[in-house]
Amino acid sequence: MAAEAVAVAATDLASVQASQLGMKALGAGIAVGLTGIGTGVAEMGIGSAAVGAVAEDKDMFGLALLFTVIPETIVIFGLVVALLLLFV
Amino acid sequence: MLKPKQMSRLLIAASRDQMVPVIAELYRRNLFHIEEFVDAGAEGYEGFKIGTPLPGASEKSADLIKIRAIANAISVRGDDIETAKHCSRAESRKRIEQELPVLEQEVENLTARRSKLDTQVKEYEQKIAEITPFVNVPADLDLYHGYKRFIVFAGFVSREVTLTVPSEMYFSKGKEKNFLVAIVPSEQRTEVEKALQEAAFQSVPLPDESGAPQGRIDYYAGQISALNQEIAEINQKLEGVRKSHADFLVACEEFLKAEVEQTEAPLRFATTKQTFVAEGWVPSENVATIIQALEKAAGGKIFVTELAVDYEHENVPVEYNNPSFATPTQVLMDVYSRPRYTEIDPTLMVSIVFPLFFGLILGDVGYGLILLAMAFGLRKFLKGEEGRQMLAVLRNASISSIFFGIIFSEFLGFPIPGWSPVLYSRHLMAAENGGHGPNIPELMVLSIWIGILHITLGRVLGMVNHARQDHGGHRIKAVLANFGWLTVMWGLIIAIWSVASVPLMPNLTGLPVIVAGLNLGIFTGAVLIVAGVVFIARDSFLEVVEIPTIVSHVLSYARLVAVGLSSVAIAMVVNFMSITMFITPQLKNLTIVGIFIIIAGIGVFIIGHALNTALGILGGGLHSIRLHYVEFFTKFYKGGGKKYVPFGMNRRFTED
Repeated sequence: MAAEAVAVAATDLASVQASQLGMKALGAGIAVGLTGIGTGVAEMGIGSAAVGAVAEDKDMFGLALLFTVIPETIVIFGLVVALLLLFV
Repeated sequence: MLKPKQMSRLLIAASRDQMVPVIAELYRRNLFHIEEFVDAGAEGYEGFKIGTPLPGASEKSADLIKIRAIANAISVRGDDIETAKHCSRAESRKRIEQELPVLEQEVENLTARRSKLDTQVKEYEQKIAEITPFVNVPADLDLYHGYKRFIVFAGFVSREVTLTVPSEMYFSKGKEKNFLVAIVPSEQRTEVEKALQEAAFQSVPLPDESGAPQGRIDYYAGQISALNQEIAEINQKLEGVRKSHADFLVACEEFLKAEVEQTEAPLRFATTKQTFVAEGWVPSENVATIIQALEKAAGGKIFVTELAVDYEHENVPVEYNNPSFATPTQVLMDVYSRPRYTEIDPTLMVSIVFPLFFGLILGDVGYGLILLAMAFGLRKFLKGEEGRQMLAVLRNASISSIFFGIIFSEFLGFPIPGWSPVLYSRHLMAAENGGHGPNIPELMVLSIWIGILHITLGRVLGMVNHARQDHGGHRIKAVLANFGWLTVMWGLIIAIWSVASVPLMPNLTGLPVIVAGLNLGIFTGAVLIVAGVVFIARDSFLEVVEIPTIVSHVLSYARLVAVGLSSVAIAMVVNFMSITMFITPQLKNLTIVGIFIIIAGIGVFIIGHALNTALGILGGGLHSIRLHYVEFFTKFYKGGGKKYVPFGMNRRFTED
């Protein structure tokens, strides 16, 4: 009887741990995914304006590229959160 | 170093008959940045007028335009040509007089003939397009025209049409559109038009041809291929001209450009009837030689003097002054903005830190070697100044990448056999293979440390810049505001250290508690933050809104690890797919199908790593430079300096 109870408890523990791991993975995925969408939305407007500016004046290329990657920070934060969730 | 070249302002005055030798000498020296004279009645310049070009300017400009037109027609670019033999001035002039008209005639004839043939080809293609719909109708093309009492309809319809009037009609069903031809008596025109209208009739023009449609198409296709052959022959001839005359063209272009620039120089001078005056900038180290050279060229009949300069307010042209290893990085600085004359030139710092960041992100021996090979291989194709500088930047970055690859023990995502990572590992899957897993927290904190130090450096430079550039009360306020930003940042950091213990950072949680569980560190941090906010607000109150950027800018440096890890992850996934999934299982039991799967695996390996290399350049390069532009430069750098463009040229194909 007691041995059975221990076995049940062990499987319960294992499944709880597995589900925790799954939740972590889900969290990491959501972090990267949503921040990726955020970056995309932000870069959408900047990117189209940047292409327009470069078409007017090719010297703008460097600055345009720079402006376009500014919202990249958002997805980097997402990536950092994901890495912390998975590895720390 | 850290400062642009020191400049001095020169004033040159001489009589007009000295203009030609003075201009020639200035051009030859290639040091004098002309400050253009504007006829706006400036003090001391009353009665002066803008000069007129030297004689022969318009002929030379016309020749230059001709040469450029030819070079354009046969696509010759100076950047694509290795510096070849130099021709002297007299030789260039002779060759321009003798060869240019002949060459111009030849190229013009060829290109005119080619464009004529091109139009003819277009015409024939148009005819083929017109005839094509009639191919399915079993009737000669003569039958569509020449009627007096009948009218011909031809075009596309959406469905089959039945006409109630007496008519001769042919309907052919197509995949997308149905083609219809109908010949009806002229009186019934309106009824037919109405019926066709209901079937969404789109008329096509009737070809003015005779004979079978397919025959005509074949005829025109034959004509087109003959014309194309002729065009190819002309292109070959032009290619021949290009091969034999490319050197001549670039040399002439350079020679004439120099001549035109010299003849047009007086347009930038102030002149009277008898004299001319030119003002401009010269690097201070060259002032003595320039004065001497000009006096010699003008036989002493010239007045050259160094003017007193108010460096704060004058727009002094800026020329970089960096050690040779830092010069390629100037191209990255120019993308942002050239430094102003009075501010610190951070090129040297960028040239050291940029490759380090790049290596931290793309620390992989394999990718480093690929990029190094690219940096050397592309030198053949990029011959311009900027391209070369970019490649030098890439070379430095790839060397740093190899160095960090050894530290992280990575080769195309594999651990280097028999070599474990120095300090910290980035091997994401190593834990499953029994090795040490990735040290993500440590790497993360390390990147934050880099951020803290980089931003502190930026703020210190900001203090120096403000101390140098500003005046009076604002100077102290601006310096203190920069100091305030520093204290807020460090106050926050000390407060965090006192609340939580962070790996690789000092642990201040053990400091004596003063009140309500808050220890000394928290109070110190709070005092620093408050003092900093006060300093910032004294300079500009609105800036206080920007305080959260301290956190976001410091955390932004986490990208050094995050982007790097994503590149490691892609490399490892590619390796896993190609080797573990495709190649290894097949090698155990080799079959014919297996060999194809192995080849597919190798394909995945190559394409995956090529993609990751491209992403690596983009990720490593863009993110490192962005950390400089956005996080570092915003703390101290303004830019907007005027580029130093000396009057003259670096001759590549001609001699002076």
